[in-house]
Amino acid sequence: MTTAAEPANAKIVILATVACAYPGADTVGQAHLSYPANTYVLRIPAPVMLPESFYFRTLEKGIGGIIVMSCGEECPYEGAYHRFAARLDRVAVRMKKEGYDRRRIKLSAICTVCTKAFLKEVNEMNDLLKEIGPPRKGEVAN
Amino acid sequence: MNTQTIQCDALVVGGGIGGLTSALELADQGYQVAVVEREASIGGVMIALSKVFPTLDCASCITTPRMAAAAHHPNIEILTCTEVKSITRDGRLFAANLMKKPRYVDEKLCIGCRQCEYVCPVDVPHEFEGGLGARKAIYVPFATAIPQKAVLDAENCMLCGSCEKVCPSQAVDYFQRPEEIKVQAKSVVLATGFQLLPKDSKKEYSPPGSLNILSALQMERLLSPHGPYGRVIRPSDGKVPDSIAYVQCAGSRDKSLGIPYCSRVCCMYAIKQAMLLSGALPLADVTIYYMDIRAFGKGYEEFYENAKAMGIQFVKAKVARIAEDEEHNLNVRVELMEEDGRVEERAHDLVVLSLGMVPGCNPEEFVPVMRDDDGFVKCASPKTAPALTDQPGILVAGTAAGPKDIVDTIAKAGAAAMEAANYMRGLELDLSAVTEAVTGEEERAAERAAS
Amino acid sequence: MPEEVQTNDQPENREAKEPQIGVYICHCGGNISDVVDVQTVAEEVKKIPAVKVARTNMFMCSDPGQEMILEDLEKESLDGVVVASCSPKLHELTFRNALKRGNHNPYLYEHANIREQVSWAHHGDPAGATNKAIRLIAAAVAKAVRLEPLKPIRVEAFPHAVVIGGGVSGLTAARKLSKQGLGVTLIEKSPYLGGQTAQLNQVYPTEEKAEDLLRMLVEEVVDDSNIKIYTGAEVVAATGTIGDFVVRVRNVPGDTSAKGIGLIEKKVVFRPFQGCTVRSDRPCSPGDELEVRCGVVIIATGFKHYEPRSGEYSYGESPRVITLPDLIKLLSPDGPTGGRLEIQGHPVRDVALIHCVGSRQVDGIHEPQPDGRVNSYCSRVCCTATLQAANEIKDRFPHVNVYEFYRDIRAYGRGHEDYYEKASGKGVLFFRYTPDSPPLVEKTGPNASRPLKVRVRDTLTFGEDLEAPVDLVVLSVGMMPNDISDLVDVFKLPVGTDRFLQEVHPKLRPVEMAVNGLLLAGTSQGPRDITESCASAAAAASKAAIALGKGYVELEPFVAQVDPARCDGCGLCLNECSYEGALRLTDIEIEGKVERKALVNAPLCMGCGSCAAVCPHRAINVSGWTLDQFDSMVDAIAAQ
Repeated sequence: MTTAAEPANAKIVILATVACAYPGADTVGQAHLSYPANTYVLRIPAPVMLPESFYFRTLEKGIGGIIVMSCGEECPYEGAYHRFAARLDRVAVRMKKEGYDRRRIKLSAICTVCTKAFLKEVNEMNDLLKEIGPPRKGEVAN
Repeated sequence: MNTQTIQCDALVVGGGIGGLTSALELADQGYQVAVVEREASIGGVMIALSKVFPTLDCASCITTPRMAAAAHHPNIEILTCTEVKSITRDGRLFAANLMKKPRYVDEKLCIGCRQCEYVCPVDVPHEFEGGLGARKAIYVPFATAIPQKAVLDAENCMLCGSCEKVCPSQAVDYFQRPEEIKVQAKSVVLATGFQLLPKDSKKEYSPPGSLNILSALQMERLLSPHGPYGRVIRPSDGKVPDSIAYVQCAGSRDKSLGIPYCSRVCCMYAIKQAMLLSGALPLADVTIYYMDIRAFGKGYEEFYENAKAMGIQFVKAKVARIAEDEEHNLNVRVELMEEDGRVEERAHDLVVLSLGMVPGCNPEEFVPVMRDDDGFVKCASPKTAPALTDQPGILVAGTAAGPKDIVDTIAKAGAAAMEAANYMRGLELDLSAVTEAVTGEEERAAERAAS
Repeated sequence: MPEEVQTNDQPENREAKEPQIGVYICHCGGNISDVVDVQTVAEEVKKIPAVKVARTNMFMCSDPGQEMILEDLEKESLDGVVVASCSPKLHELTFRNALKRGNHNPYLYEHANIREQVSWAHHGDPAGATNKAIRLIAAAVAKAVRLEPLKPIRVEAFPHAVVIGGGVSGLTAARKLSKQGLGVTLIEKSPYLGGQTAQLNQVYPTEEKAEDLLRMLVEEVVDDSNIKIYTGAEVVAATGTIGDFVVRVRNVPGDTSAKGIGLIEKKVVFRPFQGCTVRSDRPCSPGDELEVRCGVVIIATGFKHYEPRSGEYSYGESPRVITLPDLIKLLSPDGPTGGRLEIQGHPVRDVALIHCVGSRQVDGIHEPQPDGRVNSYCSRVCCTATLQAANEIKDRFPHVNVYEFYRDIRAYGRGHEDYYEKASGKGVLFFRYTPDSPPLVEKTGPNASRPLKVRVRDTLTFGEDLEAPVDLVVLSVGMMPNDISDLVDVFKLPVGTDRFLQEVHPKLRPVEMAVNGLLLAGTSQGPRDITESCASAAAAASKAAIALGKGYVELEPFVAQVDPARCDGCGLCLNECSYEGALRLTDIEIEGKVERKALVNAPLCMGCGSCAAVCPHRAINVSGWTLDQFDSMVDAIAAQ
């Protein structure tokens, strides 16, 4: 049931924090600002809870991009943001090893009223997916 | 006449957002609360609004959870279709006489299926839709009403008997009588709300035979997703209006009407409606004729700025008179205050009057509290304890004590609940002090007797 | 604190048969159904094997909507419910409560957001929106299948509140709570109680003396044996959660002002423009600290006045340009001139009052604050306060000419309009300016009759350029929140774009903040007058009384939970946990064998899930947010 006009991009999973980014995504909707419908926001208390394997499993399922929208430094959980940032660094190393385009996973801080930043992240990921298509191991040389 | 007696801690008069908030706060603190509402559903004015400023949340989405929470709260009893006849002080308590008006439908039996509504042959203007849509003589008050029970309007009923025949639960009862209810309560919260000034109060704004001059509440209904027409059209001919005017301070800040005060919400609701209109009718021009734009609440000024950026026209002007021609087009005579008072006639397809707030009722008729010159309940300590009336134990919430927006109504309702709780706690302490004194006296008497 | 291992009821045969889920899709009166084809969504969702029923309704949140769910739970013996409607922040709780009402576990519920994140965001793409709604609901169903019944964590509530800020709001909140029999500790950074109200002479619209209002409030608080007062004290740290916070308070370093005033036993002394000095229960020597245990914290930290930039309307350049608070002092019998309207030793003959200084600022026109943002909000009180001052000048000094330069007169409150009316009647002249051409305050030449002039393009007279010679200019400065960055850090307080503290929702939860047990009162939340501050303080007190009055608080059960069967006691999770005491290793006996397992202390766990990510066996998970649930949601989204 995709629009007939042009082939849809691969899907994007957005991990949005309960405290900041999820209400931020709501604010975008409340303002009736529009963005592509291939975006699926999953609510999460803190992205630190997901293991590295989650990201690779998600890419293997064909999800083209993952945007982690966190609270950034405003993270309500002690030390969680830094532990999470370190984890994403390890994810990046493994992506390189497995030959994934590292741009498929993006970390950004989105606040409850960050409508412009939200749209920018979503649109940039979509532009990227238009360019590089669906994910596969070894898509870039490691 | 049947007489029912209810004993409770707090009696809340009015089931709008203010009354419900006070009731919920008290009930959550563990007090037993009775809420009296004269209409057939709780929800007050707020449930009839389309969206609310400045968040543009749908009003129903904010109101219905509170209505449901109150209706389902184990500590709250809700009495709809019920009017307060009198509240008097009775020793340490208050005694209230209530009158439950006949619904002509047994609330316990009615399942809200609306079969009666479908067979009723009578059509009358629907009050909930500002008279713009039609309802039957027996009807569930509106889609999100609580309770979801039918009510029969005896004035318009033809007594054809169709509803009684079709009702699957035999709930229709043409012989229902008014019921007297007596309430004993420790405290009273007045949340009797407001009404908009009637549309025809100012004759310059209500030419005879006019159809296309709407009250702001009528426009709320037109903008509502489940409103009377399902879209914004003008009542006279169903035309989609190209040009809509808002007349601000129509019945506020107007000594000629005896309403010198500002109604606080009209600027913001007009801006909100203008924004919603721009969304619903992208080609229409919306002009707001105003004296001062009073966007003073949290996030309101930003909301106003957004409206200006959307292209809504704000014109500082006094509207002298509105005329409606045979085609029901409108001619608005304005004094342009930014052009040294130059007078101009401007044509519009539809005019909305931003009518001010007047008291929902005169509380002096049933409760011994004082009113202020403006007709609203007088506050005894307006600065530091705004929920107190001149009567200890009788508190005031929401717009019963003067115009307020929803945010301020809810804050004041919370304050009224806290004051009521403080008062009741004081009663308990007094009582235990009395008991202690009595016990002490008895003990001493016993000691004296022993010695 | 009693240690308790959270024991949730194990699902009965949940694994044995595929759970049966009911899905309910809301039209939201067109808000959703105008874009999303809800009928198609229902039909597609019905095809998912775990979905027993899929229904639509005009308003799921309405009573009939909720009743429909409850009926199905019985008739269809559902194991879980998914509602697809607006954002979960609005109605997730509504539907959980509905389940609870029907005696079902409220946590066997999952919400799909198809309004804010679908219909409102993809209005130009109905087909895409419909497809997205189907996938989001499929994901919610996948999660619902894996939900387990949970029980709220019950925490004892310590019947004591900490109120931070000793202005009218803090005083009001403290007193209302104490009257309910609760203990209160009031902490004030300055040596005085009374906050900004002490800066006033008479308050509008009652014209009561601010001193009298404050005295009454402060005396009640001081005489109240349930309230402990610490002035010259600040909060430096806080631990704990709703029901049981420990707040560390210390003497403000370098605060010696209190010494000069002395501690006055039981006697309230009002000092004009400063506040009330009272007997303080604060630690006396600098650096002293104490800990206060409490169930809730009310933040009533108030506001400060906008400080005009040097040169803004010649402020700082001419001593004849002052702020409204300065004028109030000048008019007060306790002020520097004993109440005579004099500037530079000479009586004032012409005064200009300029509104909206530091309020209603416009990006690109006004100079931003250090954080790069302008004060775009209205400060709410300045119009009436300015009109009140204009009236007072006209009453006491009838020959003084008063000019007001305004944008809109916002005399909105009960009795406020009278000031406007009276001012006009007394001959105050009003000029209206637009933000892009504000009044200009200039020095005049040596031969001029007045040392200053105000030039303005008056929009009330065809944009005519007008000039008013004056000897005093008063800037009606707006409100800004006090600098409470330390408290924002200590309590992780949410701050809005206007820099004031942010409530959860302005109408649904107006005095609560995102962190449980933290409440808002007065102008810390946004500009408001004394009436409105006291109302919000009483409303916050009511919420606090609800939390503390019962003696316990129920918390959401979304905390880490260990599956002892999978845990091998490796301890990797412990290294990740930031919350002292939330997680530890312990020896437990299982079928006669002693084994080392991780153990969660639920009330201390914040549910961040740092532990879950590192467990090699998925033995530890945050309840309601398990990794299996996330995997299954991704699978549902990736399908098709």
